Amino acid sequence: MMWKFEIPATARTPEVSFDFGENHLKLAGESYPEDVTEFYNPLFNALDTYLAKLGKGKCRFDFELIYLNSSSAKAIMMLMDKLDAAAANGASIDVFWHYDKEDDTMQELGEEFGEDLANAKFHLEKMAG
Amino acid sequence: MLAPELFDLRASLQRQGIIFAYSGYVTETVLSGVGEALKQKLTIDDADTKTLRSVFAVFVEQMQNIIRYSAEIEERQKKTASPPTEIRYGILTIGQENGDYVVHAGNLVARSDVERIRARLSKIRDMTKEELRALHKEQLRAGPEQGSKGAGLGFMEIARRSSKPFEFDFSDINHEYAFFSLKASV
Repeated sequence: MMWKFEIPATARTPEVSFDFGENHLKLAGESYPEDVTEFYNPLFNALDTYLAKLGKGKCRFDFELIYLNSSSAKAIMMLMDKLDAAAANGASIDVFWHYDKEDDTMQELGEEFGEDLANAKFHLEKMAG
Repeated sequence: MLAPELFDLRASLQRQGIIFAYSGYVTETVLSGVGEALKQKLTIDDADTKTLRSVFAVFVEQMQNIIRYSAEIEERQKKTASPPTEIRYGILTIGQENGDYVVHAGNLVARSDVERIRARLSKIRDMTKEELRALHKEQLRAGPEQGSKGAGLGFMEIARRSSKPFEFDFSDINHEYAFFSLKASV
């Protein structure tokens, strides 16, 4: 698996850096797209394809989100569900939720997502700086 | 008499502590532009990170409520599939009141929707932080509420980002529509 799925950040959408070859996936920045479905559907598709082939492999997903609006929260939950389902099928998945220590709302949101992960390992971390 | 009239409007807004005022058709592009200026103003004000993010978050949810739910709609004849064929009208102000930033938005709603919105908002407004957290988790999993195009999470996000309970009100305009107003402080 030597492919990548990458989208540069815009003012309203996060940087997507899915390095499937390295089994390291990352979403960083702000998320309040004009059209949540249009932005996230290609990510869901790429992730589905990757996870289907991952089997018992290892994968790390870093969420480094500074801000997300309420409709993006739903999309993030769907990403988490996909990761958790893959972990239930035997993959070893580590989810890192990085939050700005100045913003407890994002910390709480991370905790909410973490509570729902039954199989993937969840890590809550303060962003550096 | 052109200048005095417009200056009076501006002075009236300023007396109320209003820094930004937008009344008109709201699009996602308006949200982007005003949002960018708002971020710059908050940065110049030296607002702390938490305040900046919270004011911005409340602003985004309020603007998207207008874009999605205002009952005052202009529709274009659908000759082509794109760009968007409808725009919705609303009003939004951002100001300062007793040391808080205040985001106040309003738009028309159908009178038949008033009781549903009122019940939902009263419930959210009166919840503790823990109750809000639990409901948020539940709603994230549930499908959209009836009559809601979004995930139905916007009001909860506003409540969680506010420093005190939000205020809201409805005023009947005619037999069909009421004006809905929601004010949140950070």
